[in-house]
Amino acid sequence: MSRKSLGGVALTLAGALLAVTALTAGEARAAFECPVKGGDLVFGQEAKVNSLDMHSSSTISTRNIAMHVFESLMTRDEDNNPILELAESVETSDDGLTHTFKLRDGIKFHNGKTMTSKDVAASFDRYNKVGIERAILGNVAGWEAPDASTFVVKMKASQPTFLEDLSSFSVPIVIVPEEVAQADFLKMEPVGTGPFQFVEFIADSHVKVKRFEDYKPNEAYEERTGFGGYKTACLDTVTFRIVTEPGARVAGLETGELDAVEDVPQSSVPRLQENEKIKIVPYENFWIHIATPNFEKAPTDNPLVRRAIATALDMDEIMEVATDGAYNTNFGFQQPNRKVYSDKGKEFFNLKDPEKAKELLKEAGYKGEELVLLTNKDYTTMYNAALVMAEQLKDIGMNVRLEVQDWPATIATRDKQKDAWNYHFTGWGTNSSLGYLAVFKFLAKPRPIYTTDLESTDEVFDKAYSDMLSLPTFEERAEAFARAQYRVMEHGISLPFGWLTKNQAVRSNVHNFVPFRIPRMYNVWMDKES
Amino acid sequence: MGRYIVQRLLSSIPVIFLVTLISFSLMQLVPGDPAIMVAGLQATPDEVERVRVQLGLDQPFHMQLLHWYGNLLQGDLGTSFLLGRDVLEVTLERLPVSISIAVYALVMTLLVSIVAGIIAALRQNSWVDQLVMTIALIGVSLPNFWLGLMLIVLFSVHLGWLPTGGYVDFREDFWGWLQAATLPAVSLAMLQMGLLARITRSTMLEVLRQDYIRTARAKGLSERKVVGKHALKNVMIPVVTVIGIIFSLLLSGSVVIETIFSVPGIGSLLGSAILRRDYPVIQGGLLLVAAMLLLLNLVVDVLYAYFDPRVRYRNGK
Repeated sequence: MSRKSLGGVALTLAGALLAVTALTAGEARAAFECPVKGGDLVFGQEAKVNSLDMHSSSTISTRNIAMHVFESLMTRDEDNNPILELAESVETSDDGLTHTFKLRDGIKFHNGKTMTSKDVAASFDRYNKVGIERAILGNVAGWEAPDASTFVVKMKASQPTFLEDLSSFSVPIVIVPEEVAQADFLKMEPVGTGPFQFVEFIADSHVKVKRFEDYKPNEAYEERTGFGGYKTACLDTVTFRIVTEPGARVAGLETGELDAVEDVPQSSVPRLQENEKIKIVPYENFWIHIATPNFEKAPTDNPLVRRAIATALDMDEIMEVATDGAYNTNFGFQQPNRKVYSDKGKEFFNLKDPEKAKELLKEAGYKGEELVLLTNKDYTTMYNAALVMAEQLKDIGMNVRLEVQDWPATIATRDKQKDAWNYHFTGWGTNSSLGYLAVFKFLAKPRPIYTTDLESTDEVFDKAYSDMLSLPTFEERAEAFARAQYRVMEHGISLPFGWLTKNQAVRSNVHNFVPFRIPRMYNVWMDKES
Repeated sequence: MGRYIVQRLLSSIPVIFLVTLISFSLMQLVPGDPAIMVAGLQATPDEVERVRVQLGLDQPFHMQLLHWYGNLLQGDLGTSFLLGRDVLEVTLERLPVSISIAVYALVMTLLVSIVAGIIAALRQNSWVDQLVMTIALIGVSLPNFWLGLMLIVLFSVHLGWLPTGGYVDFREDFWGWLQAATLPAVSLAMLQMGLLARITRSTMLEVLRQDYIRTARAKGLSERKVVGKHALKNVMIPVVTVIGIIFSLLLSGSVVIETIFSVPGIGSLLGSAILRRDYPVIQGGLLLVAAMLLLLNLVVDVLYAYFDPRVRYRNGK
């Protein structure tokens, strides 16, 4: 049976960048070297960590730390393209039913054991049992470990997007030693192959990791890229301190107790910019601020009303108030630098046309039915966005009411009380970052919990989404994504407001900290004093 | 006295039962699905359902309740949905943190407010009295989260005297603990200081008007002896009464303060458990806090007997 090489697969996946990963250790170039080694970097993290079990936790706060400790067969590069990590190569059979991974040689776990395909198989076994996103393996018939360095995945049916799914960093299938993979849900010990190894976890206080001296960087690369590439730990230790209060995070950065932080409030940015010991490193397009409509309750069961609402709204005003200015209103469900980017549907976005909206409402037969905006104060940006949207819609004569609950309650209300709301306020972060396949997952079949049932309302979107998953070439799938995006906007299937910018910041003695969706501490070094 | 204590302890059991029953029922009534919190927002209904079964949330309410009480009788408070750890272990880890800060705040409250209240009473209507009462009013009025942030700005950012947050175990490094715990303790104590100073002042004024104080003065005792020996002990009776309440307020106020100062205490644990609907942690945490407060009230009642000889506990009365 003839097989596609990795390069060929890469082109059908997401672009030529994956082909770069076909480099072998023998072709190694001058790799990154730490200019300075040592130091304990203290990172102020905004959210609490519930567990470091990367298979069983879907929170960003877990990923912040666990992505330094664990690695997977595949991951994503700086531009979100799939790349190899613990695998040296992958070959896909012509019929698309078999993916054969060759593992990199001499990879050690933090417990000193050398990684083999048995560990990979055990990790897949565990993920299939307790992994939060085990739906990734839904089309997989099974896996084998024919020899110590080969791992074979057999599919039930050809799935051109499987390797892209496998490279997801949302809840990745991280590879752990076979004995560690026997752990129950949420109980897995943090023993991985990453550049940092676990030291201690004091819940709600901090997590400490230290340099893994036996770490073997991926020599197919010269530098870190995304979550992969040539990674090396310059720092002795990294302490992830949980500092949930934004003011305390900023104060910690100013005093030097914290060397780096995430989520600096925009209101503090001008003051910090004047401090020469601090560098603000904004991460743009962190998430799409969005509201999803209820298709089962009037008036949002009427597509024309949804169109009228979209026509009326001034997204710049909404985002300005919601984020204090940390935003952009670039159109699209993918960032403009992505290969798959499309502006299809832009004509329905940010129109700021209340007169036209009034006409559409009249045409839709709107008779003053109450429009309930379901929002929360846990994420103040969502609350503020709802406030402004309510005022803008009142201006076109709509009868608007804000329903404010805490975040878990809004989720429960959204899912279980279909007669209690019309728009639910949320943000799409990880999924928009993961790429075009993931971003519309919330709206697509099989219906995730994230939205109300579109089943009887939109076959056009479903067809486009199905094509995104199944068409053989990237170009065809990208075109299907553009179709899906157009339909989402035309039909008001969701209501994007704009992109939120998340401000990260470091002390001036911290170097090579490049903002990314998850802060990365490998290839980062620090001088003794800022 | 011994019999009284045993009877009070036994009477705590139905109180604890009611507290846990009410909290269990309320959590079921509040919207929010722990299975979704664990499975993540991207999970499909099937995945959420699998998590629900894994967590035992597919069982009817009465079965979950019976299961919880059954485990409780065996000393098992269950496993946290989100932490995947034993609830008793997690809460017992956190309690000393919160208690140490609450005790620090209580000591601060007692020292400052009793002294200030007495001075204000002895100098009634003078500028000293006005000053003490004005400061007390400010203490009562300031929201503790705002005060906490202002203290960070002043003492950490500008003066650099104290850390912005975090916690150091007092058993490992007492000086480090003192530094880390001071700002949270002051933030917690300010409100209680204001209240207690006002109570102390008014009680002292009342006591100073009593006949036995007049008699003591008529005997020619020095003012120091009159206040220190005769008035103070009587002032302490209402103060002791509110100590239990103050301590419980210091503990419950720690939810906000622990968040601001990144202190890994029971308040922070309960706060995040409520936000993430981690039922076993909420149940277990409330149970332990309720038990602790009942015990504290018992101690306060016993202390009455010391300060007020008229109070004697006989036959459980």
